Amino acid sequence: MTTDTIEFRQSNPWLETAKGEKRGYIQPAKLTELWFHTGTICNLRCPFCLEGSKPGDTRIQALKLDDVRPFIEEALDLGVEQFSFTGGEPFVVKDFIKILQLALTHRPCLVLTNGTEPLFNRFADVVPLLDLPHPVRFRISIDYPDEQRHDAGRGPGNFRRAWATMKRLHDAGFTVSVARQRDKDEDVNAADEQFRDLMEAHGIPRDRTIVSFPDFLTPGSTGHAPEITESCMTTYHTEETRADFMCNYSKMVLKKNGRMRVYACTLVDDDERYDLGGTLSDSMNARIVLTHHRCFSCFAYGASCSEK
Amino acid sequence: MENTVKVIDVVWHTDAIYELLLERNGQAFVPGDCVALYAADGQASRPYSFASGADDPDLRFLIRRMDGGEVSPHLASLKTGADVKVSPPFGWFRPGQAGDNAPAVFIATGTGIAPFLSYLRTFSSRPPLMCLYGVRERKDAVAAAFLREHCDTRLAVSRETAPDAYHGRITDLLPELRLAPEIHYYLCGLDAMIDQVTDWLEEQGIDITHIHRECFFNAEV
Repeated sequence: MTTDTIEFRQSNPWLETAKGEKRGYIQPAKLTELWFHTGTICNLRCPFCLEGSKPGDTRIQALKLDDVRPFIEEALDLGVEQFSFTGGEPFVVKDFIKILQLALTHRPCLVLTNGTEPLFNRFADVVPLLDLPHPVRFRISIDYPDEQRHDAGRGPGNFRRAWATMKRLHDAGFTVSVARQRDKDEDVNAADEQFRDLMEAHGIPRDRTIVSFPDFLTPGSTGHAPEITESCMTTYHTEETRADFMCNYSKMVLKKNGRMRVYACTLVDDDERYDLGGTLSDSMNARIVLTHHRCFSCFAYGASCSEK
Repeated sequence: MENTVKVIDVVWHTDAIYELLLERNGQAFVPGDCVALYAADGQASRPYSFASGADDPDLRFLIRRMDGGEVSPHLASLKTGADVKVSPPFGWFRPGQAGDNAPAVFIATGTGIAPFLSYLRTFSSRPPLMCLYGVRERKDAVAAAFLREHCDTRLAVSRETAPDAYHGRITDLLPELRLAPEIHYYLCGLDAMIDQVTDWLEEQGIDITHIHRECFFNAEV
């Protein structure tokens, strides 16, 4: 009589795909860009928002100047080259101008904004930012070149308001760019060209940066993106392109449940497994496993939250 | 984080507009702040501006019940002592608070008058130069008497005539506005009014840093 020995292998879906292959990962090399999530509070309530942001939302809490200060100091020690801010809508946050003032005394900044009332109302505080040692650029969300389609998600009149804000920022001397949504199977160049026509029509140079994003789904969604294996990362990517993944060179800081935390990137704050600790130093050695469904957008289309 | 507070009362001003009174529980805010008030499921929420003064003993919100809405019909149905989930205060609109006591003009439609009521209940000794207040029907002008006690108020009623009001849209009254570069203009109401008034003020040479806006959308449903 023989007895077969059966080895039960415990799979770990965090580290292995459904087929048991090792997942791809990024081993961060540096910190050149630090993102701050200013909070999921927003003046708009867009049904597609990847952050689930809306008026009064506190999933990610609004930042205060004292929350940010130690991370700016730590990031400077680690060689950071730029601070970037996303939300929610950063200009809803009461301390945001003070936070920007602090950041701009040290490094250039990028601010993602919907370009509506919160920024409009604080324009008098925004213009003096031009006098600080480093420049601030603004990226305005304009989902589609079609006004009705944009306003269907963001509220009536907001297409017009966002363009008006962009023009005012440009006229004041700030560099502006556009964040748009990317349709499946779209002709990227043709879509960008429509935006460039709109830039020209609004008196903004056609050569401003346009960043496009696929539908990232709302927080907590699982998505149905293909899984990324170690083999994928060597077959379809090179050392050079792996270095372009955001999680190689950036982190995002946010406030949850009253605690400041460091996350792997701007797109994975709905998954606690990407919480890398309470300080930037703690977070730097963590290997970033590409398990989140949004990781596939970086894998397939290139990491694009930054404007490298 | 969100709190739960008790309802003191629901006071109806018309068949659609009501005032929700909540216990204060020490909540600090400044005029122009909003909170998100939640529906019974604790998920759906809508932002509402404070209508009460910053030092008043209770919290007041002026609300239009939207048929088929997710939140306003629920809030309208609440009885004294019921619980309401409330977000922390937030806001980017600060009526009367730009500059160093700079002269101000208020322009509101409908329940967009709420943040101006909060201002007047907080800073009664610093009224605006004037207030334009637009409503559909005369009965909707629930704050008209209070406003007239405190400042030069021009009422516009769009859908009917009334002895004490201009018959037409609030934007018809814009030529009556006092215009000066030192004045700050505060606009609160539906998006179409906000856009029209902004355009008009800019055409008159008012710098955009002196135009402050709080925009309501018809987004309850």
